[in-house]
Amino acid sequence: MARLTLDDVTKVYTDDGGDDIVAVEEISLDIDDGEFLVLVGPSGCGKSTTLRMMAGLETVTEGELRLEERVLNDVSAQDRDIAMVFQSYALYPHKSVRGNMSFGLEESTDLPDDEIRQQVETTTDMLGISDLLDRKPGQLSGGQQQRVALGRAIVRDPEVFLMDEPLSNLDAKLRAEMRTELQRLQEELGVTTVYVTHDQTEAMTMGDRVAVLDDGELQQVGTPLDCYHRPSNLFVAGFIGEPSMNFFPGSLSGDTFSGDGFDYPLSGATRDQLGDAGGLTLGIRPEDVAVGERRSGERTFDAEVVVVEPQGNENTVHLRFADGDEGPQFTATTTGRSRVEAGDRTTVTFPEDAIHLFDGETGDALKNRELPSNRAIDAFVSN
Amino acid sequence: MSQPSSTGSFDVASLVEDVNLRRVAQYALVVFFLGFFLVPLETGIMTAIKTNESVARSLPFAPPVGEGFTLGNIQFALEQLSGSFFNSLIMSIPATIGSVLFGSMAAYGLTMVNWRAQMGMLMLFVVGVFVPYQAVLVPLARFWNNIFPLARMLEPMVASIPFFQGYHAELVPLVITHIAYGIPICTILFRSYYQSLPNSLVEAGKIDGASITKIYRRVILPISKPMFGVVFIYQFTQIYNEFLFAFTLVTGSDAPAAPVTLVLPAIGASTSGIDFGIRMSAAFLAAVPTLILYVAFAEQFAKGLRTEA
Amino acid sequence: MGQIQLTGLTKRFGDTVAVDDLSLDIDDEEFLVLVGPSGCGKSTTLRMLAGLETPTSGDIYIGGDHMNYRVPQNRDIAMVFQDYALYPHMTVRQNIRFGLEEEEGYTSAERDERVVEVAETLGIADLLDRKPDELSGGQQQRVALGRAIVRDPEVFLMDEPLSNLDAKLRAEMRTELQNLQDQLAVTTVYVTHNQTEAMTMADRIAVMDGGELQQVASPFECYHEPNNLFVAEFIGEPMINLVRGTRSETAFVGEHFSYPLDADVMESVGDREDLVLGIRPEDIAVVDATTDDTPADDAALGDHELRMDVTVVEPHGDQNVLHLSHPDQPSADDALQAVTEGMHLVTRGDRVTVTIPPDKIHVFDAETGTAVHNRRHDQEADRTQLEQ
Repeated sequence: MARLTLDDVTKVYTDDGGDDIVAVEEISLDIDDGEFLVLVGPSGCGKSTTLRMMAGLETVTEGELRLEERVLNDVSAQDRDIAMVFQSYALYPHKSVRGNMSFGLEESTDLPDDEIRQQVETTTDMLGISDLLDRKPGQLSGGQQQRVALGRAIVRDPEVFLMDEPLSNLDAKLRAEMRTELQRLQEELGVTTVYVTHDQTEAMTMGDRVAVLDDGELQQVGTPLDCYHRPSNLFVAGFIGEPSMNFFPGSLSGDTFSGDGFDYPLSGATRDQLGDAGGLTLGIRPEDVAVGERRSGERTFDAEVVVVEPQGNENTVHLRFADGDEGPQFTATTTGRSRVEAGDRTTVTFPEDAIHLFDGETGDALKNRELPSNRAIDAFVSN
Repeated sequence: MSQPSSTGSFDVASLVEDVNLRRVAQYALVVFFLGFFLVPLETGIMTAIKTNESVARSLPFAPPVGEGFTLGNIQFALEQLSGSFFNSLIMSIPATIGSVLFGSMAAYGLTMVNWRAQMGMLMLFVVGVFVPYQAVLVPLARFWNNIFPLARMLEPMVASIPFFQGYHAELVPLVITHIAYGIPICTILFRSYYQSLPNSLVEAGKIDGASITKIYRRVILPISKPMFGVVFIYQFTQIYNEFLFAFTLVTGSDAPAAPVTLVLPAIGASTSGIDFGIRMSAAFLAAVPTLILYVAFAEQFAKGLRTEA
Repeated sequence: MGQIQLTGLTKRFGDTVAVDDLSLDIDDEEFLVLVGPSGCGKSTTLRMLAGLETPTSGDIYIGGDHMNYRVPQNRDIAMVFQDYALYPHMTVRQNIRFGLEEEEGYTSAERDERVVEVAETLGIADLLDRKPDELSGGQQQRVALGRAIVRDPEVFLMDEPLSNLDAKLRAEMRTELQNLQDQLAVTTVYVTHNQTEAMTMADRIAVMDGGELQQVASPFECYHEPNNLFVAEFIGEPMINLVRGTRSETAFVGEHFSYPLDADVMESVGDREDLVLGIRPEDIAVVDATTDDTPADDAALGDHELRMDVTVVEPHGDQNVLHLSHPDQPSADDALQAVTEGMHLVTRGDRVTVTIPPDKIHVFDAETGTAVHNRRHDQEADRTQLEQ
């Protein structure tokens, strides 16, 4: 069993000037055996530092790191039974693929040579790189090097895989392919995996659960769709989802949300959830903004198209409320075949069941969107 | 895998925990080597401040006791050397600056600019590094004395410069020789540094409209500062400490234009034998400029080495 | 004027042909994106345009002038490099001002003004006295842009400028770059391996592979009317589904299923035996096995319907990507990918019915890769009803 637990783990650095920098602040995580957990957040949020503490490449300043019942804080990296895939692959340039993959086994186990050979060959078969066994890293493409780095981790049959942005050096197309493959591999092998990335798409599509970090602090841990549809605060709502959620700062007056350029009436049920909040931020995802559907009503507004970004299967449309001057811009997603153009005037509708409302000061989510209840959605959203 | 990096906090318990046989052995080794390198230095200093009697009687590395202590040696050495210090410095500094500057320019032209026959040129420079001093001594002497007597030509001009005497003109051929001899190695050193710089810097400069020379002056030269520190220290030490060329071109240790390296072997020698005290003092005094240079450039030097790695 | 003509442009490095007989016309003020996988020749082409590489053969014209023998300094172009190439020892102000020094017609004071003007446009006016190593990646990017803009050149060249940025920042900068280019109205040639950047930013896309130009067309056209297999595969995320097979009298015959083809498609196919059927993931309609609409058994499946098992579900939030495989090949490679709306979720292991609409298929010649039939779309009917 390989349950990895972080208990209020903190990392503090002292910089050149003698000041303390808190890179990671009191992170607590319970990672189940066989789970694929993605640590995601912008540059500098502490995700790599957290991973490196799990690996033993950084010491833990405060808090406890446990693998099952065993406390890992003072255990050296070599003894943790953890394998890591680095962003730069870190392959031994002078060794062949076979040599790279055998090295870990040779150093940390007593296995006889032919058994090591056997294990290496099984792994290369799994990864589809058997024909590359005798080549050196310098003779391999980026994608192939990636697989060797993976193979090197897999062959050691560790308790935990740690991956530090392993796909970021790959071409966009290759990245998409490897995402699916990594996921499949992890399921097949059933090894607890902690994966670090700044790319929320990778987090959404690969993780069993996602842990969102910002500035050293854990913002939310949940399934991808949980974080997507029920973000706990403004940061998570803005970080997860591409294109980003639209935010409209404003305030509550009676039963209406007053934003910059529009007023949005709230139903009684919604109003009740807001309590005493004064300043609010209204959020709505681009795919929930209905464009040009000839609706009318209090939740439909006149708008002007500023820019259209065609994606092929859909378009990202940047709009502005149409009351003359430069109001805030927001985005909507429309199907690929709709031919909206810059300069067009149209309407946008924000359905009430799709809006999120956040506290204007703290950023906490006060009301998230409604979700239809069915077996599939429940399975995905709840843990 | 590396050991975990140390934390900022300090507690006795962890210190005691870390004390083990391996640590003790590591420190013992460090102290040993420290001693190994410092003992000769210490011996030298001790000898310099001892009277002759004290030198003869006491152990080399023991400090002088009471009457055995004297500063006279140092004073004497200083008097003897003052003239030659001046000579050494007015020779080494221009020579170092020249060879380093030209080396940097050559490395730039060979590494960051693309043109035909580049590799061939580079080979010539590499070959230049390996030409031994001894092989060129005779042609060198003949060149500067007979074929192109620059020293004699410049004598009146040099004499008219304040603080300089006519005989200082003898150092000019030496400066030029050192520059020429130093360019290959400086070029090689700079080349390795320039290879680590991104080519896109020069490309951006080109696209911004700057000529190759302007790119060197405004972009490459300013960012070569760490490397300049390294190469400067290296070259200065080489040139300042150099004996053969100086001996060939500036004849005799009693020549008024003699650099320090020529004068040193003669100091302290007399019919009654060698005066070690004076010799040691002179040796230390001669090393002072280089020491000052290292201290002044220490940060640059360290930065430069780091960049290279 | 900044129009560009490349005629028969070729570049060889020893035995390797990096760019092969490339001919391309770029209009003044156009935003053209050169896109393709690593090693396809797009960066080499850009560098030849910049004057940083000399063509082996062929001609380059910018604004009607022949450029082959002109050094970069004399081409009136500006370039944004992938690593930004900011002068590390100079402040932001000096970095931006550097290129302006060689431009004639400015006094020193005018140059200073122009630098501030450009910095304000890019929102970096408060960073003018900092050095590059004190800036974040996004800020450095803007300085690199500023350095290019300040000289008001005829052509902007951009070599994967966004690839070193975080995913979120990249998306923001994409929109910003597009706006900027619109505002400045300067011909721009932009190189990337990311097809999303190509699709969202370009007026036209030039797809390259192995040094050869595959197609030059608007994003819409490249997406809906790809010239060949390579373009169809490269453009579009998730990737188009491609199924290899042969032709029977009336249908496409794949390994696990047959798909009847309409008469006009059969006509375009002609005598070809080996075909590749293409269908984009978002065009596949997925119906859950548990709903009432599904046919009771396989015999009741329509002509263009298939039974498939869901092997992987990728939730993106706004949509889901399903990996589907055929029931008689349970653990083999996925046969198809389909996209469903965010709220339309299925579970791994579900058996579903998929429909491949006949008006959305593409057919390619398996040997040459050329497109034989592309999906139908009626341009007029596509225009959404808009409030005027």
